[in-house]
Amino acid sequence: MAFHSPFDIQARPNRLFAQALSCLLFVLCVGLYIQTSTKRHHENVEDRVVPNVHQLMGGIHASVLEPAEEDDYIAPDNASKWELFRHSMIWKDTAASGKRFLISLLFLVPAVLLALHIGLFPYFGAGFLRFVLFFDKIVALSLLPILFILFGIDEASKIALIVIGVAPTMILDVTQMVKAVPREQIVKAFTLDANNFDVAYRVIFRQIFPQVINSLRLNLKPMMLFLFAGEMIAASDGLAYRIAIMRRHMGMDVILPYVLWVAFLLYLIDLSLRVLNRRMHPWFQS
Amino acid sequence: MVSVLSPDETLNTFQKAPLPPAITISGVSVSYPVGKKYRKTILEDLNLEIEEGEFVVLLGETGCGKSTLLRMILGQERPTTGDISVAGSRVERVDARSGYVPQKYSLFPDRTVLNNLTMGPETSGYHILGRLKPGFRAFRRQVREEAMKQLQHMGLQPTDAAKYPHQLSGGMQQRVAIAQALMMKSRVLLMDEAFSALDPGTRGSLQRLLRTVWTESKPTIVFVTHNTAEALFLGTRLIVLARTSHDEGCGARVALDMKLPESGMSLSRNGKEFLDLVDHIESFSRKSYEMTSPPGETI
Amino acid sequence: MIHSKKSVLGLLCFGLLALCPTVSAVAEVPTFTVGWSVYAGWNPYFYMQKSGILKKWADKYGIAIKVQRFDYAASLDSFVAKNIDACTMTNMEALDMPAAAGVDSTVVIVGDYSNGNDAVLVRNGLTFDKLSTQPVMLVQKTVSEYLLERAMVINNQQAQLAKLRLINTSDSDIVPAFMNNASNQAVVTWKPLVSQILADKGVHSIFDSSKIPGEILDLLVVRSEVLNRPDGSGEKFAKAVNGAWYETMQKLNGSGPSQLQALKISAAASGDSVDSYKEQLKTTYLFADPKTAADFTTGVTLKQKMELVRQFCFKHGLLGKNIKSVDDVAIAYPDGSIQGRKDRVRLRFNPTFMQAAQQGKL
Repeated sequence: MAFHSPFDIQARPNRLFAQALSCLLFVLCVGLYIQTSTKRHHENVEDRVVPNVHQLMGGIHASVLEPAEEDDYIAPDNASKWELFRHSMIWKDTAASGKRFLISLLFLVPAVLLALHIGLFPYFGAGFLRFVLFFDKIVALSLLPILFILFGIDEASKIALIVIGVAPTMILDVTQMVKAVPREQIVKAFTLDANNFDVAYRVIFRQIFPQVINSLRLNLKPMMLFLFAGEMIAASDGLAYRIAIMRRHMGMDVILPYVLWVAFLLYLIDLSLRVLNRRMHPWFQS
Repeated sequence: MVSVLSPDETLNTFQKAPLPPAITISGVSVSYPVGKKYRKTILEDLNLEIEEGEFVVLLGETGCGKSTLLRMILGQERPTTGDISVAGSRVERVDARSGYVPQKYSLFPDRTVLNNLTMGPETSGYHILGRLKPGFRAFRRQVREEAMKQLQHMGLQPTDAAKYPHQLSGGMQQRVAIAQALMMKSRVLLMDEAFSALDPGTRGSLQRLLRTVWTESKPTIVFVTHNTAEALFLGTRLIVLARTSHDEGCGARVALDMKLPESGMSLSRNGKEFLDLVDHIESFSRKSYEMTSPPGETI
Repeated sequence: MIHSKKSVLGLLCFGLLALCPTVSAVAEVPTFTVGWSVYAGWNPYFYMQKSGILKKWADKYGIAIKVQRFDYAASLDSFVAKNIDACTMTNMEALDMPAAAGVDSTVVIVGDYSNGNDAVLVRNGLTFDKLSTQPVMLVQKTVSEYLLERAMVINNQQAQLAKLRLINTSDSDIVPAFMNNASNQAVVTWKPLVSQILADKGVHSIFDSSKIPGEILDLLVVRSEVLNRPDGSGEKFAKAVNGAWYETMQKLNGSGPSQLQALKISAAASGDSVDSYKEQLKTTYLFADPKTAADFTTGVTLKQKMELVRQFCFKHGLLGKNIKSVDDVAIAYPDGSIQGRKDRVRLRFNPTFMQAAQQGKL
C-alpha cells in the first residue's frame, strides 16, 4: 500500500478507516482522562479534582436519585425509582433551567416577526434597523447589573438576559434572509392581488421559515451561555446553579456528569429541530 | 411606422371598434445621478400607446432599458419624468392590473404547482383572515378545478400538480408561471425575458404555447427579449430601443416601431424575407447614432 | 521543502536545550509559593512581600518564598491542585476543600477570627422568626451560610432552618443586586461589602460574627507533605513565614510612620483607603501576639468551635458525596486528640511555629 498523505484533497479514504479515525480523538481524550485520574488517585486516594469512574458513577447516582441538599424531601423506604428520580437534583435543575429556556424562546417569536417587517416594510426598516445594529454591538453580559436593578434577581432578569443577548443577532439574521428573497417573488405576489400582509406572511415568511429554524439552531448555544451566566450569578435552582455550588467544594464528580447532560440536552433539541424542519418543509434545499 | 400588414388585415383593423389604449407611456425618462457631475440617462422621452390585444415585443441590446420600461409598466419602478397608465389609470404601485412572468423565481418554492396556480384567485378573494369565512372551501374547490384545467392546457400532466417547483424542469416551470399569471385573467401580461434561460427546443415549444394562448383571449402582452427571431415569431408589433450615442447622458429612445403580421414570422415560413428583416432590425440596435428613417422596404 | 522542515526541527531542539541551563539554575534554592486573596486578615501578605520583610526571613533560612494573589475560590483550587504550597483560608474551607479532597493539610498560623466582619443584614425590621418568609441572598456553601445557620440556632429558630429560601448570589454582584431593588429584604455577606450595603439607611444588621467569636477563623494552611519534607526545607518555610508574619503584626499594631506604612500598603492590596481598611480591622480580632495565637490553638475552645464547623460541613454535603460520616474527615489537635477516625486525619493544627515565635526562637 502506497503512502497516503493526509494533505491530499483528492484522497479517498477507506470507509472503515475514516470511521475509526473519527473515534480516535474520543479514545485519546478518555484515555488521557483515565491516565490523569489514575495517577492522581495513586498519590491521593480521595482526590476529587479528577474523579475516577467509581466516583463519577457515584456522582451520577447522587444527581439522578438523590434530592438536592437544600430540599426537605426524604424518601420513604419503599419509594420507587421513578419517585426518587422525580425528586432528584437533576430533575429539579433541568426543570428550572428548562422553564427559563422555553420562556426565552417564546420571546424570540416577536423578534423574528419584527425582523420580517424590518426586511420588507421600508418604514420599519428605517425606524428599527439602525438601532438593532447598534444594540447588537452591546455586550449583553455587561448589562446584567442593570437587568438586576430593573427586574430583580428572579426569573425575569435571567430571561431578559437571554433575550437581549440573542434577539439582536436573530433579528439581523432574519432581516438578511428576507432581503435575500428575490424581488420577483414579491412583485409576482402583488400581481396576484395580494395585500401587504399576504406578501409578508403568506409569501415571504413561509419561504424563509426553514432558514429561521436553522438560525434558531445556531443560536441555541449562545442562549444556553446566557442562561448559564445568569444562573451562576444569582439563582436558587438550575443546572448552572448546581455547577456553581458544586464548584465551591470541588464536586467534580457531579459537575462532569452535569456538563455532559447539558451537552446531551442541547444535542437533543438541535436534532428535534432539524427533524421538524425536514418534515415541515420537504421543498427546502439548504 | 412601416406597415407590414397585408391589405386584408389592414381592412380588418379599421372595422374593429376603437378601444382605449391598454398602456399609455407619455414623456417618460429615467435617469439617476452618478457621483457629483454626471447623470446617467437610461431612457429618454418615450411616448408610446399600446392598444388592447397587441402583442408588443421590446427588443434591444443588453442594458438599453427595455427591462426598466417593463418594470415601470408593472409599477415596480417609477420614471424620473412622465407617467404611465395601464387600463385607464396611472400606475403607482404593483397590483393585479398586470400579470407578470419573470425570467426566474416566478413560482413560490414552498407551494406545490397546484397551490401556486390557485394562489392568485384565492388571495384575491380571501386574504389572510378571509380564509376562515365559510364560503372559502367551496370557492377553493372551484378554483382548483379551474387550475387543473389550466395546467393541462399548458401541456402538463395532472401528476405534476402535486410537485414542487424545484422538481420541475425550467421549461415546465415557465409554463406554470404563465398559467399562474393567466389564472388572474388580467388583460395585460408583462413578460421579462421569460424564455431566455431555456434551451432552444423548450423555447420553441413555449413560444408556440404562448402564441396559442394569445390567440385565444387576446390579452395585451408586452414581451421583452433580446432574440430577434423570437420577436418576429411572437409579436404583432415590434419596438426597438436604442441609444443615439454612447454618451452617458444620452438615453435610449424608440429606434424602431413596426407592425408585424398577425400570424407570426419564422425562417421556415418566410425564408429570405425573414433573414432580411432580422438584419434590418438588428441594424437599428447596432447603428445607434443613425436616427434617420429606416430604408423603405416593402415586402 | 524537506530542508525547511529539518531546519525548523533543529531550531526547536536548540531552543529547548538553551532553556535547560536556566531551569536548572532556578532549582537550586527551594522555592515555596503562598497564595492569598483579598481580605482584611490576609492583605498583610502583600505588605510582607512589598516591604521586603518576607525576603529577609526567607534569606535567613536559605529559601525563597513567592507570594501570589488569587481570587478566593481560585486560591483554594490552586492549593488542592497542588500548584501552590500554602494558602490563606478560613477553617471551614480548610475542612471542606483540601481535607475533604484528601490533601492532608496543616495549619501553621492562626491569624485572626472574624469579629463582626460577617453579618446578616435586613430591611424593614425583619426579624429571625420572619426570615423564612423572605428569600435571603448570600454566597451559598461558604461562611455566610454557616453564619446564617448559627444565627438562626442562637435565635431559637432552628426549626425554621429548612424553610429558608436561599438565593446563591455571587459576591461580585451581591451589593448592587441587593441595594437596587427594595424587594430584596435579607442578605448575608462580609466586609467591605457589608459596609457598602449599610450605606443605605434602611438596612441594618441583626447578627454578626462578633456573636460567634472564634468560629470563623482565618488561617495559613500548608500541605502536610510540603511541611514534612525530608530535607527540612518545609519546616524552614513554616518558620520563615511565621517570623515574617509576626514581625508584620508588630508593625501593624505599632505606631508611628512604620505602622502607617504597613496600613497603607495593606490597604492598597485591596484597593481600599487606609480608613476603610482600619474600619475592617476593627471587626477582625487579630492574634497579633504569637502567645494569643499559640494559646488559642492549644486551647479547648478551638475544638469546640471546630466541632460546630465540621458538623455543618457534613450536614450540607460539603465534605464530598462519598463521605458517609462526619468522622471520615478527621482533625488532629496539638494535644494528640483527634476529632473523627484516627486513620482518616486530613487536617492538623500545628502550634510549634507560633510557639517558637512566642519564645523568640525564630
